[in-house]
Amino acid sequence: MVTLESILSHTADHLVLVVMTLIISICISMPLAFGSLYNKRFGYVVTKFANLAQAVPSFAVVALVVPLMGIGFYPAVVAILLRALLPIIKNTYIGLSTVDPSMLDYADGIGLNEWQILRYVRLPNAYPAIFAGIKFAFILINSIAILTAYIGSGGLGELIFQGLVAFNNEKILAGAIPAILIAIAFDIIFTRIERKLTPHYRK
Amino acid sequence: MPSKRLFDRIDSIQLRGVTKKYDDRFAINDVSIDIEGGELVIFIGPSGSGKTTTLRMINRLIEPDSGTILINDQNVMELEPVALRRNIGYVIQSIGLFPHMTIAENIGLVAKLEGWNEKKIKDRVKYLLDFVSLPSEMFMDRYPHQLSGGQQQRVGLARALLMDPPLLLMDEPFGALDPILRKQLQEEFYQIREKLGKTIIFVTHDIEEAFKLGDRIAIMDDAKLVQIGTAEELIFHPVNEMVASIVDSGKKFKHLDTLKIKDLISPLECMYVHDGSLDIESAISSMIEKNIEIAVVSNGSGPLGIVKLIDLLRMEDKDSKIADHVVEIPSFSRNELLSSSLKIMQKNGHSMAFVMTDEKLSGFLFPNDAFSQVIG
Amino acid sequence: MDKEHKGVDSLLLSDLIEVWETNSLTLRTIEHLTMFGIAIVLASIIGVFLGLFLYSRPKIAHPMLNLLNLVETIPDIPLLVLLLPIFGLGKEPTIVASVLYSLLPITRNTYTGLKEVDLKYVDIARAMGLSEKDILFKVRIPLSLPMIVGGLRIALVFTMGVVTLGGLIAAGGLGAALIAGIQLYKINTILVVGFWTGLLAVIFDGLAGMIEKRLQRRYGIW
Repeated sequence: MVTLESILSHTADHLVLVVMTLIISICISMPLAFGSLYNKRFGYVVTKFANLAQAVPSFAVVALVVPLMGIGFYPAVVAILLRALLPIIKNTYIGLSTVDPSMLDYADGIGLNEWQILRYVRLPNAYPAIFAGIKFAFILINSIAILTAYIGSGGLGELIFQGLVAFNNEKILAGAIPAILIAIAFDIIFTRIERKLTPHYRK
Repeated sequence: MPSKRLFDRIDSIQLRGVTKKYDDRFAINDVSIDIEGGELVIFIGPSGSGKTTTLRMINRLIEPDSGTILINDQNVMELEPVALRRNIGYVIQSIGLFPHMTIAENIGLVAKLEGWNEKKIKDRVKYLLDFVSLPSEMFMDRYPHQLSGGQQQRVGLARALLMDPPLLLMDEPFGALDPILRKQLQEEFYQIREKLGKTIIFVTHDIEEAFKLGDRIAIMDDAKLVQIGTAEELIFHPVNEMVASIVDSGKKFKHLDTLKIKDLISPLECMYVHDGSLDIESAISSMIEKNIEIAVVSNGSGPLGIVKLIDLLRMEDKDSKIADHVVEIPSFSRNELLSSSLKIMQKNGHSMAFVMTDEKLSGFLFPNDAFSQVIG
Repeated sequence: MDKEHKGVDSLLLSDLIEVWETNSLTLRTIEHLTMFGIAIVLASIIGVFLGLFLYSRPKIAHPMLNLLNLVETIPDIPLLVLLLPIFGLGKEPTIVASVLYSLLPITRNTYTGLKEVDLKYVDIARAMGLSEKDILFKVRIPLSLPMIVGGLRIALVFTMGVVTLGGLIAAGGLGAALIAGIQLYKINTILVVGFWTGLLAVIFDGLAGMIEKRLQRRYGIW
């Protein structure tokens, strides 16, 4: 028998882990992405590495953190960050750097400085791409946060793994269903925001 | 599965009150035209005037709302569209060579669908490539993106000729080419047209092209046919102001006596100039890369003459210098009178000349056919 | 200095061999790649046919793609465990989950590829006298090939991920070796299996990327 309290507390743990890692990854990614914009080599390395790292299975990433940091909540955070950072950096960098050159030329021509170009030309252009990166990172985080229960992060994954060990279907579902609901709820919210962020002329 | 040969030759094409509407706007409004077999009729007019729509109705790419289109007295709407189209060649400005097929596959596609055997297809493709002046052994196995714009357009024409259709529809076939290349292809097309002996309907927005190539010119405006006639009829008896203004550029021939070469110069671009010491192999790759069909050969101090890409491709000895294969062409100073220069060029059969400014090459002169007629 | 380095190297190598043998990694790798191969082949066949089908029935294309999108939203482990009551533990639910995940990119790319072929090619094909069937097989499908392979490449990555997770539900494969390493807290095992799993995934992704690039180059779509 799984109590409602247990489901709620595991869901809360899961949400804390997810939201916290999402915020951290945004905070770390943004400066790196902006940095890549002004250092072409760095940008190149980041995009290449992001493409490469995206192919590595999550389970391998989670496992490889164990020899470095052991198990527990913080190793789980690091494992999640390893997967979530790159899509945000990559998308932000691509969004900022793929601006119509004629627009940059024009901005230069009317005398905008580097900062103004970033603020008024590059950034508004990059919003949809940045947001797509964050949405993708969230999807990754939400699913890896279940897996990291295997290395002791707690959360909904813990219910699933306890259920698997004990052949307890009720427990498995008590972990799986809230995780699915969270994913769907966030997907709906993100899609709404995405529509708002995409300028009407691009729709 | 072979499709039926619908007609071996064109006796007549008749459009009777053809109308096509998109929503409330007329694309074609009650157009009637009679075209004779063997004729080359040019449709010209502002964009949106209905010239392309008219063309595309003949092979049923667009179907009329009312009116009839008859080829040899057969209503095209009663013919099977696939069979009809295999009997009509079609060439368009964007060419549309399939990027996933080699040149040979592009040209031979319909023959393959018709069930020809490999050997017959290959022979036909070779014949057609040679016909459009592309050495078949060099081009058959290439992909379209490896060809220059002019070469692609030649392949487009070869493809249209595959089934030896008695009728060709051409929609601004030279429209996307740069002026120098366009003039050369027009020249070649003018020459092979005789050999083709086909009925051709040709859309353009370039009145000089119309004068040069067309037996008759149909002027369209606002979905209607305004006037159809020979160049002379249009120039001397325009039905209204609009026709007069379209053929107006033809009127400058009247002032030919006062025109100087500098008024009609085609400026030189650096990319055309190649050093005489270059070997043929490198000249070919340079020209293909720059997408040019003619190169000016220079010896450092001045131009020796020109070489044509087609000629270079046919040379056996690819290691020899291009300076050894130069075709000399006349050169004139930019302040000379146009009429006298053109007379000289015509007498010697030159289709282009260098224009010099202060002893230095500054451009080209292409006397087109219309000019030659006026001064002839 | 040199000697010391050599010592470390041979230590690593002997560790590697030991880990490889005690975990029977050859067998695990074969299991891993078998599941991967079956899932990819199934997903490609079903995905391409579904894409073709949706292309011929544009009315149901949108709802169907939305449904596949919803499947995509479900996190991987919950999807795997939801399949347990139907398929039991082991390879079957792992393969089914991989296929379910891979369907969206393959189907969507096939459908979009077919739909978004440059109309000038379709127009000229029609004008040359190709039937609609010929246009589909000679023009639309070949021209969407780079796009379809692009979808397949995304599917490869998804499938590698799910197959590795299969270890959690007794499907064997390299995931099983990772679990053994974590549960017994054997650092060497985790390192060897973790890197090997990652390397395999990167190699397959790289191969698919090469094919994709070649197709694009051959078609002149740089």
